Amino acid sequence: MLFWVIAAVLTLGASLAVLLPFTRPAEGDADKSHDLEVYRDQLSELDRDAARGLISAPDAEQARAEIGRRIIRLDAETATGSRNASASVSRIVGVAAVLAVPVISWSIYTAIGSPSLPSQPLSARLAENPANSSVDDLVGRAEGHLIANPSDGRGWDVLAPVYMRMGRSEDSVTAYRNAIRLLGSTAARQAGLGEAIGGASGGIITEDASKAFEEALKLDPANPKARYFLALALAQEGKVAEAASAWRQMTAELPADSPWRAVVDQSVAQAEGQSAPPAAGAAPGAVAGAATGPNQEQIDAAASMSSGDRTAMIEGMVATLDEKLRENPRDPEGWQRLVRSYVVLGKTEQAQEALGRAYAVLGRDSDDGKKLSEFAASLGLKVTE
Amino acid sequence: MVEIGHFALILALALSFVQSLVPLYGAHKGDARLMAIGGPVAVTGFALILLSFVVLMIAYAVSDFSLANVWENSHSLKPMLYKITGVWGNHEGSMLLWVLILTFFGALVAAFGGNLPATLRANVLAVQGWIGTAFLLFILITSNPFARLSPAPIEGRDLNPILQDIGLAIHPPLLYLGYVGFSVCFSFAVAALIEGRIDAAWARWVRPWTLAAWVFLTGGIAMGSYWAYYELGWGGFWFWDPVENASFMPWLAGTALLHSAIVMEKRSALKIWTLLLAILTFSLSLLGTFLVRSGVLTSVHAFASDPSRGVFILCILTLFIGGSLALFALRASSLSAGGIFHPISREGALVLNNLFLTTATATVLIGTLYPLLVEGLFGEKISVGEPFFNLTFGPLMIPLLAVVPFGPLLAWKRGDLAAVAQRLMFAFGGALLVALVTGFFIDGASVFAALGAGLAAWLVLGALTDLALKSGIGNVAPRIALRRFIGLPRSVFGTALAHLGLGLTLAGIVGVVSFQSEAILVMKPGQVLQIGGHDLRFDGLRPVRGPNYTEDQGHFSLLGVAGQPIGELFSSKRFYPVRQMPTTEAGIRTMGFSQLYVSLGDETADGSVVVRVWWKPLVTLIWGGALVMMVGGFVSLLDRRLRVGAPTRRKTIEAKPVAVAQ
Amino acid sequence: MTRKQKRLSVIAGALAFLGAATALTFYALGQKASYFYMPADLQAAVLQPGQRIRLGGLVAAGSIVRGQGTEVAFGVTDSDKTIEVRYTGILPDLFREGQGVITEGSFGPDGTFVADSVLAKHDETYMPKEVADSLKEKGVWQEEATQ
Repeated sequence: MLFWVIAAVLTLGASLAVLLPFTRPAEGDADKSHDLEVYRDQLSELDRDAARGLISAPDAEQARAEIGRRIIRLDAETATGSRNASASVSRIVGVAAVLAVPVISWSIYTAIGSPSLPSQPLSARLAENPANSSVDDLVGRAEGHLIANPSDGRGWDVLAPVYMRMGRSEDSVTAYRNAIRLLGSTAARQAGLGEAIGGASGGIITEDASKAFEEALKLDPANPKARYFLALALAQEGKVAEAASAWRQMTAELPADSPWRAVVDQSVAQAEGQSAPPAAGAAPGAVAGAATGPNQEQIDAAASMSSGDRTAMIEGMVATLDEKLRENPRDPEGWQRLVRSYVVLGKTEQAQEALGRAYAVLGRDSDDGKKLSEFAASLGLKVTE
Repeated sequence: MVEIGHFALILALALSFVQSLVPLYGAHKGDARLMAIGGPVAVTGFALILLSFVVLMIAYAVSDFSLANVWENSHSLKPMLYKITGVWGNHEGSMLLWVLILTFFGALVAAFGGNLPATLRANVLAVQGWIGTAFLLFILITSNPFARLSPAPIEGRDLNPILQDIGLAIHPPLLYLGYVGFSVCFSFAVAALIEGRIDAAWARWVRPWTLAAWVFLTGGIAMGSYWAYYELGWGGFWFWDPVENASFMPWLAGTALLHSAIVMEKRSALKIWTLLLAILTFSLSLLGTFLVRSGVLTSVHAFASDPSRGVFILCILTLFIGGSLALFALRASSLSAGGIFHPISREGALVLNNLFLTTATATVLIGTLYPLLVEGLFGEKISVGEPFFNLTFGPLMIPLLAVVPFGPLLAWKRGDLAAVAQRLMFAFGGALLVALVTGFFIDGASVFAALGAGLAAWLVLGALTDLALKSGIGNVAPRIALRRFIGLPRSVFGTALAHLGLGLTLAGIVGVVSFQSEAILVMKPGQVLQIGGHDLRFDGLRPVRGPNYTEDQGHFSLLGVAGQPIGELFSSKRFYPVRQMPTTEAGIRTMGFSQLYVSLGDETADGSVVVRVWWKPLVTLIWGGALVMMVGGFVSLLDRRLRVGAPTRRKTIEAKPVAVAQ
Repeated sequence: MTRKQKRLSVIAGALAFLGAATALTFYALGQKASYFYMPADLQAAVLQPGQRIRLGGLVAAGSIVRGQGTEVAFGVTDSDKTIEVRYTGILPDLFREGQGVITEGSFGPDGTFVADSVLAKHDETYMPKEVADSLKEKGVWQEEATQ
């Protein structure tokens, strides 16, 4: 409503601007005096130039004569006078002009404007639904907080593993480094840092990463993540036998319910099978999208890939997830992941299509369906259909 | 209220449409009221576009991603300065800025044009209205910054990191002020053609506009050059890239216009030529906009473009350039010729200047468009680069620069070349000395370097000689000379400063082209490089996290004679995660007028880094000279003669007796 | 001289000047314009030794070899043929495998292309126009492949 009021006021103001000259009496035209003034000024300037020696005396005299001739010609022209338009025609043109303003503007605006859409600044969107915002939202808010308070070590500490899970390894490295700097070194932080460095270099356990893991083991010799990755580093160097024995030792010492058990067992099996060792991406929760589990070759490839190829691999993984959901569709989280992946890859159409399939299975108005709708809306997808 | 901005923009289009027709009809019929509509409509149109621009700016500031344009070019984590400058860091926003400036100038003409002949004023505003209507239509049809998204996405796609720089805050607005400033000259020219006569007041009005537009364009080009220099990390200050040429051509033509407008104003000569130049200058500005926005030419720093826009701008281009030139062909012969002059005279010198400058403009135009032509005709792809311009543009500029100091010293109507040459003996001697010293005493100086240095000194000393002669230094007592000096018309200072600035820019170019040294090497931490008589030590890479990027910052120390660090230099490789895009941030340290420029390459396995280091002697003079030129133009603009239009000025003259005329 | 003669001589002078400038411009265009080639075009092309050309294409996958210090070699391909390019210096930020590039330089005696400048665009969605056109003709590359 407010919009229409403002728009109406603006239109009125604009029309008044056109109307304004008609409220004043018509002025006489004093064209020729302008020119005369200029010629006079040229004459006085000529005198100054002559005094400064910029023009020689005879030339100045000639120039004066030239200007004089122009002034005389001017007087002759003045006699020819100006025409006058008939008052009625000018009134019609005036009225047409005043009317043109609202007619043109409102017809164009109705055609291309979106008057019903309110402004949606970031602050308003963030304040809207704090309870069920997406991870991106929360991370965005945390980042905002950390920019304002960069020395909040706890913030970095919380954010570091989240970054890792989102696949933003490089940010994760920075976050871990900051947390270590501000809060001090712990085994968990050092191991996390090592993993992040590994992730940032495409799954290769670099020297830096190894250093971080070794630091972690100094603080807690039993830290499984550090032990696992140091063994992996051995495997990547080609010392597969040593790696396998390190992993076997881990299996012996790990508690039975440790989430690492499965990964370590798999690695041992592969090492013994002489196949190449997995990259950092295979660790639990290491890389986004890994829940569907890329196979061994894919991971190996990832280690030496350029970013373009890595995108291709991610696409492959997404396709696998897609397949899996076709076979086993009652998986609300799986659908969210799929929709999100497509959006991240820029494939909005597929995302929409996946959304449609999810609705077909889960039901639009079920709790899961509603959650999915909210989630999709937060990604910028159309949910109205 | 984003939609208010959208509505205001459309309303401005409606007003612009009225402005383009009614005053024209009024002027044709001699109806004062219809003519008078132009003024308030132009001012209101400007206010509406300003409103719309401010609304867009606020949307950027609060990260309102329900606007597609904001979503595409902003990010909530971007520093506030870049959120604001991001408004014009993209196609849609920059076109809005273009129109904003256009209507701003239109409003200025309306507000301060009270002393113009009414028909001229009405016609000028009508022509401004045509341009405004065309570009507003262009914005609303092909590139509307107010297109909406619903629901709004969570996060924006961020501005191209290259553009996240203070340069973006300054460069495009300055450039557009220049480009669009020439639209006023164009409108005046077309208005004069429509009326079929040029008032004497015409030149009075056109010259300050030309001067103002020229000052801004000079600043815009210089700023763009410096920006490319430090941001792209290649260490070059000019690439002869089509986009650069696009801004350089209006500058060359504008410089010619500036000079021919002097003749026209002072001597009422060269009327038709000045008119043509005014049309050509703005046509080249439009062509520049077209080249940049349509992507028809390969350029290293054009950004994403859309062919449908190109076609639209091409239509605008054809309409305005073709239309105005056709009008010129029809009407030019009816304009009366002005004062006569001898070839050797101030007028003659200015004509020579025009001849060189327009030929140079044509050369650049051919070099820029030739690849398009060849591709269109023969399907062969070629590129015209620096070697071409060095061979054609260079030979044109050298004689032009050599005769610059003569111009201001020649008398009007009929000059005495021998006398002027005699007065310039001192400057010539100084320039010769500089050339000889450069040639014989500086290592590695070529003949070209010596001549270039001499030419630069010739320009600087010539400008100083001009000032000295006009204030009579050496001929009269120092106190009188000082009084005369202070009393000199501002335009004399303006001329001298602009020519002096040109000399400084040339000195900078010669310094860099002839004497720069460069090293590309792999540096280990602790390693010291000797370059340009300085010792530079690489201290290592450190990771740094910025607001929306991470970077590996290379630390370098400048070492003193005893090996102690006397200064630091940082050069980094940045990575912007949102766009997945790396950039290079050059490390630059200014010493005197020279600079040390460090650019980082890739890191090798053992912690050493590929480093490219330049020692660039006198490089800052290139832009410093442009700054002096701008100051010159600005000082000229303050000249009493130009400050006000034709009448109402006599009182000031009487109140302030002219000190020179003694 | 009469006024008419004077005017004529000025006009003649200006015309002579313009003629000289035009001649120079076209001479320079003939000499200094560098032609653009894709690798496959080079078989048909007749090149003088040392003639400067622009070579465009995609950076061949797996072809980037870093030599001593700042030397680097890579392949430029249009999927038909690949030309080896050598370059000394810092590559542009967005120089990647599969990315469109334009290199400028000339062929050395050993048949490799020695480039003195390498351009990759400063925008992630960029494809140099000449490269894009040629690749489109060959059907290798499609615009807006991501959408």
